Amino acid sequence: MKLSPYFAYAKKCFLGRSAYRFDHLMNILSTCLQIFIFWGIYRALYGGNSEVDGITLPMVTTNFMLSMGLGAVFCTNDYFLPDKIHDGSISTELLRPISFPGRMVAENAGNALFNLIFRFAPALLAAVLTIGMSAPAGAAMFGMFLISALLGYGVLWAISFTVQMSAFWFVNVWSITTIKNVFINVLSGSMIPLWFMPGWMSGVLRFTPFSSIYFTPVQIYLGQLNNWEIAEKCAVQLVWIVLIYLVGDMLWRKGQRKLVVQGG
Amino acid sequence: MSFIEVKNVSKTFCINKRQSGVTGMLANLFAPKYEIKEAVKDISFSIGQGEMVGFIGPNGAGKSTTIKMLSGILFPESGEITVGGLIPYKQRKAYVGSIGVVFGQKSQLQWDLPVIDSFELLKAIYRVPEEVYQKNMKRYTEMLEMGGFIHQPVRQLSLGQRMRADIVAALLHSPKIVFFDEPTIGVDVVGKETIRNFIRELNEQDNVTMLFTTHDMQDIEKTCDRLIIIDAGRKVYDGTLPGIRERYGTTRQLDVEFSLQQEIEPMEKVAVVDLGDNKKRFVFESHEIHINELMNQLLNRYSIRDMNISEPEIESIIRKIYSGEARDAKSGCKEA
Repeated sequence: MKLSPYFAYAKKCFLGRSAYRFDHLMNILSTCLQIFIFWGIYRALYGGNSEVDGITLPMVTTNFMLSMGLGAVFCTNDYFLPDKIHDGSISTELLRPISFPGRMVAENAGNALFNLIFRFAPALLAAVLTIGMSAPAGAAMFGMFLISALLGYGVLWAISFTVQMSAFWFVNVWSITTIKNVFINVLSGSMIPLWFMPGWMSGVLRFTPFSSIYFTPVQIYLGQLNNWEIAEKCAVQLVWIVLIYLVGDMLWRKGQRKLVVQGG
Repeated sequence: MSFIEVKNVSKTFCINKRQSGVTGMLANLFAPKYEIKEAVKDISFSIGQGEMVGFIGPNGAGKSTTIKMLSGILFPESGEITVGGLIPYKQRKAYVGSIGVVFGQKSQLQWDLPVIDSFELLKAIYRVPEEVYQKNMKRYTEMLEMGGFIHQPVRQLSLGQRMRADIVAALLHSPKIVFFDEPTIGVDVVGKETIRNFIRELNEQDNVTMLFTTHDMQDIEKTCDRLIIIDAGRKVYDGTLPGIRERYGTTRQLDVEFSLQQEIEPMEKVAVVDLGDNKKRFVFESHEIHINELMNQLLNRYSIRDMNISEPEIESIIRKIYSGEARDAKSGCKEA
């Protein structure tokens, strides 16, 4: 059987993930815990009220179950390129007759598929059975949710890709990566739903890519957007993917000229 | 017609100079000092198709940097490189499919997987047709005697086994050019011999163009016809292996066995080494002392049983070139 190189990388990554079983079980547990803790916090905050600012508790619960669940699936490896620059194995990567960004997509896709089946599904099942979650607003909306979630992944991946490119200049990128992750966690609405953000903040966030990652798919899932708005939001997601990727690609081109192969 | 063409290539690195200790760290934090290191300075050479060239130089001479520029990993600062009509660093994707690179110090294999799994992955990456893959696998595993460990995970292999597996990994897609960067490093005598024989056979049978860096002169003597020496980023020598003796091997030694115990009068520009058993070695430079005169002098003064003149070993010439002692016999000037 002749596999495409990218598919081969995705497959290798998928299979390689199953090697560490204990780590894997702990990951499921950690996703479940996150969901339970946030559910506990929001239940306490609601204090028996059925809604706050028109947002019901089930809506909030559904928001973080979906966004944290998706977060567990997406889980980009932010150190893929930095590690390779750090230990010098970038040189063998560059010897392969394939596109390096394509290789990164393949690796992440293999990872994401593994996470979807073995991490997202069990954690979501556990959460739905114990806490309960709103059903999607119709089959069509669920379909749109899937498309939008995929686009959201694209935005997340593009951000990670671009941030990773900074490793060409700084080698150690832990701090930049951490800052990036804080921004994503807080501003994407996965911890604090964007409904509760003050008006000025929502205004600012409209001009950032963060709400495109998880919040757009969640809104579609809950049926809060009409068809026109869905089209518009998905278009925004696409624009972000293209824009951020172009910046990352430029850095990738410049970075290769700067490259210093460490360790002889 | 030249296949690999390197024209006036230079590459510099910016190195952060850092003082030691806490004060040095603080100083570095607020006012980092950088130093420009010229790894490769204005190197030019060309290599024809099917040639096998040894590429040597002391540590830090710029060998690996040159190999990395030739294989499209690093961009040269200035100058031009073309290989088979392609510019490696600009047309990387199209180019690297036709070359193979072995880095002795870095494995390309998947650490946790059996060797064969890495090969399968490479087969997919390079889109190697099944029959070519099977043929190459069979041939290389036989030539390098790899049957015994092909199903073992890479992390359980000895260095010699890993190196052989790495060499096969670089050749599965039948590249027309192969760069070997220290392929015999840390390998035992038998392993080295296997690798050398393999490399030579590959060059002769498949007409593969090869560039070979090493620190082991025997590697070069047993495989390459041509030698390029670089030192401190500059090309110092480019020619045949015997040619290097003509050019730099100006030192001669004359071993003399005397009939009786002799005290030798000191002679100008001739070093005398006592070898014991009435034997002495006279070391001199052929352009300073004429061999006839020296022999005449010795024969006139002492009673001699046997005489034997020898040229220096390649290895010792190379050592002299590295340490800057070697004289260029043609120009008579000292190499920097």
